[in-house]
Amino acid sequence: MATQIVMDQSGDTRHHFDAKDVKALSDAERRFKALTGAGFTAAVRNANGEVSLVRSFDPNAEETVFFPRLVGG
Amino acid sequence: MAIGLLKMAATCVVRPIHHLIRLVQLAQSWRQAQYEGRAARGNTLLREWLSPEQKAQFDTIKSFDVVGCNTGKSYRIQYGVSANVVELDDAGRPTIGWCFVPTGNLVPGDVMLAQKIALEADERRALAVARQFLVPQLPSRLSTVP
Repeated sequence: MATQIVMDQSGDTRHHFDAKDVKALSDAERRFKALTGAGFTAAVRNANGEVSLVRSFDPNAEETVFFPRLVGG
Repeated sequence: MAIGLLKMAATCVVRPIHHLIRLVQLAQSWRQAQYEGRAARGNTLLREWLSPEQKAQFDTIKSFDVVGCNTGKSYRIQYGVSANVVELDDAGRPTIGWCFVPTGNLVPGDVMLAQKIALEADERRALAVARQFLVPQLPSRLSTVP
Protein backbone atom coordinates (compact mmCIF):
# COMPACT_ATOMS: atom_id res chain seq x y z
CA MET A 1 0.00 0.00 0.00
CA ALA A 2 1.31 3.43 -0.94
CA THR A 3 0.41 6.47 1.12
CA GLN A 4 -0.02 10.17 0.48
CA ILE A 5 0.17 12.19 3.69
CA VAL A 6 -1.28 15.68 3.62
CA MET A 7 -0.51 18.05 6.49
CA ASP A 8 -3.62 19.87 7.63
CA GLN A 9 -5.28 21.29 10.71
CA SER A 10 -6.13 17.80 11.99
CA GLY A 11 -2.40 16.97 12.10
CA ASP A 12 -2.43 15.07 8.82
CA THR A 13 -4.74 13.14 6.53
CA ARG A 14 -3.47 9.87 5.05
CA HIS A 15 -4.65 8.50 1.72
CA HIS A 16 -3.72 4.85 1.25
CA PHE A 17 -3.93 3.29 -2.20
CA ASP A 18 -2.89 0.18 -4.07
CA ALA A 19 -0.36 1.26 -6.68
CA LYS A 20 -1.29 -1.78 -8.79
CA ASP A 21 -4.91 -0.65 -9.03
CA VAL A 22 -5.22 1.54 -12.13
CA LYS A 23 -8.13 3.59 -10.79
CA ALA A 24 -6.53 4.11 -7.39
CA LEU A 25 -3.31 5.17 -9.07
CA SER A 26 -5.20 7.60 -11.26
CA ASP A 27 -6.94 9.06 -8.21
CA ALA A 28 -3.58 9.41 -6.45
CA GLU A 29 -2.10 11.21 -9.45
CA ARG A 30 -5.11 13.53 -9.58
CA ARG A 31 -4.68 14.25 -5.86
CA PHE A 32 -0.98 14.94 -6.38
CA LYS A 33 -1.70 17.44 -9.15
CA ALA A 34 -4.48 19.12 -7.18
CA LEU A 35 -2.30 19.56 -4.10
CA THR A 36 0.84 20.75 -5.87
CA GLY A 37 -1.33 23.02 -8.02
CA ALA A 38 -2.70 24.53 -4.82
CA GLY A 39 0.82 25.33 -3.61
CA PHE A 40 1.64 22.24 -1.58
CA THR A 41 5.18 20.84 -1.76
CA ALA A 42 5.56 17.10 -2.19
CA ALA A 43 8.49 15.20 -0.71
CA VAL A 44 9.66 11.60 -0.51
CA ARG A 45 12.50 9.88 1.33
CA ASN A 46 14.78 7.11 0.17
CA ALA A 47 15.85 3.98 2.00
CA ASN A 48 18.60 5.96 3.79
CA GLY A 49 16.06 8.45 5.10
CA GLU A 50 17.26 11.27 2.83
CA VAL A 51 14.44 13.54 1.73
CA SER A 52 13.91 15.02 -1.71
CA LEU A 53 11.23 17.08 -3.37
CA VAL A 54 9.14 15.63 -6.19
CA ARG A 55 7.74 17.86 -8.92
CA SER A 56 5.74 15.19 -10.74
CA PHE A 57 3.75 12.18 -9.63
CA ASP A 58 5.89 9.11 -8.95
CA PRO A 59 3.77 5.94 -9.14
CA ASN A 60 6.51 4.00 -7.35
CA ALA A 61 6.72 6.26 -4.30
CA GLU A 62 5.75 4.34 -1.17
CA GLU A 63 5.13 7.45 0.91
CA THR A 64 4.74 11.06 -0.16
CA VAL A 65 4.22 13.90 2.27
CA PHE A 66 2.63 17.19 1.27
CA PHE A 67 3.04 20.44 3.18
CA PRO A 68 1.49 23.83 2.45
CA ARG A 69 3.35 26.76 0.89
CA LEU A 70 6.13 28.25 3.02
CA VAL A 71 5.98 31.88 4.02
CA GLY A 72 8.21 34.15 6.07
CA GLY A 73 7.06 34.37 9.66
CA MET B 1 -40.10 36.75 54.00
CA ALA B 2 -37.25 39.04 52.90
CA ILE B 3 -34.69 36.33 53.62
CA GLY B 4 -36.73 33.85 51.59
CA LEU B 5 -36.82 36.22 48.62
CA LEU B 6 -33.11 36.83 48.88
CA LYS B 7 -32.43 33.09 48.93
CA MET B 8 -34.63 32.57 45.89
CA ALA B 9 -32.94 35.40 44.01
CA ALA B 10 -29.53 34.03 44.87
CA THR B 11 -30.53 30.61 43.62
CA CYS B 12 -31.97 32.02 40.40
CA VAL B 13 -28.82 34.01 39.66
CA VAL B 14 -26.01 31.93 41.10
CA ARG B 15 -27.05 28.54 39.78
CA PRO B 16 -27.21 29.57 36.07
CA ILE B 17 -23.85 31.34 36.40
CA HIS B 18 -22.37 28.23 37.98
CA HIS B 19 -23.73 26.13 35.11
CA LEU B 20 -22.36 28.59 32.56
CA ILE B 21 -18.89 28.51 34.13
CA ARG B 22 -18.98 24.72 34.09
CA LEU B 23 -19.95 24.71 30.41
CA VAL B 24 -17.09 27.05 29.54
CA GLN B 25 -14.66 24.84 31.47
CA LEU B 26 -15.91 21.76 29.62
CA ALA B 27 -15.54 23.53 26.26
CA GLN B 28 -11.98 24.56 27.16
CA SER B 29 -11.10 21.00 28.19
CA TRP B 30 -12.55 19.65 24.96
CA ARG B 31 -10.57 22.15 22.87
CA GLN B 32 -7.38 21.33 24.77
CA ALA B 33 -7.91 17.59 24.24
CA GLN B 34 -8.53 18.20 20.53
CA TYR B 35 -5.33 20.22 20.23
CA GLU B 36 -3.28 17.64 22.11
CA GLY B 37 -4.58 14.92 19.79
CA ARG B 38 -3.61 16.95 16.72
CA ALA B 39 -0.20 17.78 18.20
CA ALA B 40 0.42 14.11 18.96
CA ARG B 41 -0.39 13.21 15.34
CA GLY B 42 2.07 15.84 14.17
CA ASN B 43 4.80 14.54 16.48
CA THR B 44 4.22 10.99 15.26
CA LEU B 45 4.59 12.02 11.63
CA LEU B 46 7.67 14.08 12.42
CA ARG B 47 9.36 11.19 14.25
CA GLU B 48 8.63 8.87 11.31
CA TRP B 49 10.61 11.17 9.02
CA LEU B 50 13.55 12.01 11.28
CA SER B 51 16.89 10.26 10.91
CA PRO B 52 17.91 8.10 13.89
CA GLU B 53 20.25 10.87 15.12
CA GLN B 54 17.58 13.54 14.76
CA LYS B 55 15.03 11.34 16.51
CA ALA B 56 17.39 10.83 19.45
CA GLN B 57 17.96 14.59 19.66
CA PHE B 58 14.23 15.32 19.44
CA ASP B 59 13.38 12.79 22.13
CA THR B 60 16.00 14.33 24.40
CA ILE B 61 15.74 18.08 23.87
CA LYS B 62 12.67 18.56 21.62
CA SER B 63 14.97 20.00 18.95
CA PHE B 64 17.08 18.50 16.19
CA ASP B 65 19.78 19.61 13.76
CA VAL B 66 19.65 19.55 9.98
CA VAL B 67 22.23 20.35 7.29
CA GLY B 68 21.23 22.67 4.47
CA CYS B 69 21.48 20.95 1.08
CA ASN B 70 22.91 24.00 -0.72
CA THR B 71 25.30 25.64 1.74
CA GLY B 72 26.16 22.75 4.06
CA LYS B 73 25.32 25.00 7.02
CA SER B 74 23.79 23.52 10.15
CA TYR B 75 20.46 24.61 11.56
CA ARG B 76 18.66 23.70 14.75
CA ILE B 77 14.90 23.29 14.51
CA GLN B 78 13.34 23.87 17.91
CA TYR B 79 9.90 22.76 19.09
CA GLY B 80 7.42 25.40 18.03
CA VAL B 81 5.48 26.93 15.21
CA SER B 82 7.37 30.17 14.53
CA ALA B 83 10.79 31.76 15.01
CA ASN B 84 12.09 28.28 15.85
CA VAL B 85 14.94 27.77 13.34
CA VAL B 86 18.42 28.98 14.19
CA GLU B 87 21.59 28.75 12.14
CA LEU B 88 24.58 27.29 14.00
CA ASP B 89 28.25 28.10 13.66
CA ASP B 90 31.00 25.48 13.56
CA ALA B 91 30.98 25.31 17.36
CA GLY B 92 27.24 24.65 17.44
CA ARG B 93 26.38 28.14 18.71
CA PRO B 94 23.30 29.89 17.34
CA THR B 95 24.23 32.77 15.07
CA ILE B 96 21.01 33.96 13.48
CA GLY B 97 17.37 32.96 13.40
CA TRP B 98 15.35 32.14 10.28
CA CYS B 99 11.58 32.34 10.46
CA PHE B 100 9.63 30.49 7.77
CA VAL B 101 6.54 28.37 8.27
CA PRO B 102 3.98 26.51 6.20
CA THR B 103 0.62 28.23 5.93
CA GLY B 104 -2.47 26.72 7.48
CA ASN B 105 -2.17 26.90 11.26
CA LEU B 106 -0.38 23.55 11.59
CA VAL B 107 0.76 21.86 14.80
CA PRO B 108 4.45 22.01 15.86
CA GLY B 109 5.38 18.55 14.54
CA ASP B 110 4.05 19.36 11.07
CA VAL B 111 5.73 22.77 11.00
CA MET B 112 9.06 21.27 12.08
CA LEU B 113 8.86 18.50 9.46
CA ALA B 114 8.11 21.01 6.70
CA GLN B 115 11.12 23.09 7.86
CA LYS B 116 13.39 20.02 7.92
CA ILE B 117 12.35 18.96 4.41
CA ALA B 118 12.71 22.50 3.09
CA LEU B 119 16.25 22.93 4.49
CA GLU B 120 17.46 19.45 3.54
CA ALA B 121 15.95 19.44 0.05
CA ASP B 122 15.51 23.06 -1.07
CA GLU B 123 17.47 25.27 1.32
CA ARG B 124 17.77 28.27 -1.00
CA ARG B 125 14.05 28.54 -1.55
CA ALA B 126 13.35 28.22 2.18
CA LEU B 127 15.82 30.98 3.04
CA ALA B 128 14.48 33.14 0.20
CA VAL B 129 11.08 33.38 1.89
CA ALA B 130 12.40 33.38 5.47
CA ARG B 131 12.74 36.42 7.70
CA GLN B 132 15.87 36.73 9.80
CA PHE B 133 15.79 37.44 13.49
CA LEU B 134 18.43 37.95 16.13
CA VAL B 135 19.03 35.18 18.62
CA PRO B 136 20.49 35.68 22.09
CA GLN B 137 24.16 34.83 22.26
CA LEU B 138 24.61 32.21 24.95
CA PRO B 139 27.83 30.84 26.39
CA SER B 140 28.88 27.93 24.16
CA ARG B 141 28.47 25.36 26.94
CA LEU B 142 24.77 26.28 27.18
CA SER B 143 24.02 26.55 23.49
CA THR B 144 25.23 23.15 22.30
CA VAL B 145 23.53 19.83 22.68
CA PRO B 146 24.80 17.97 25.75
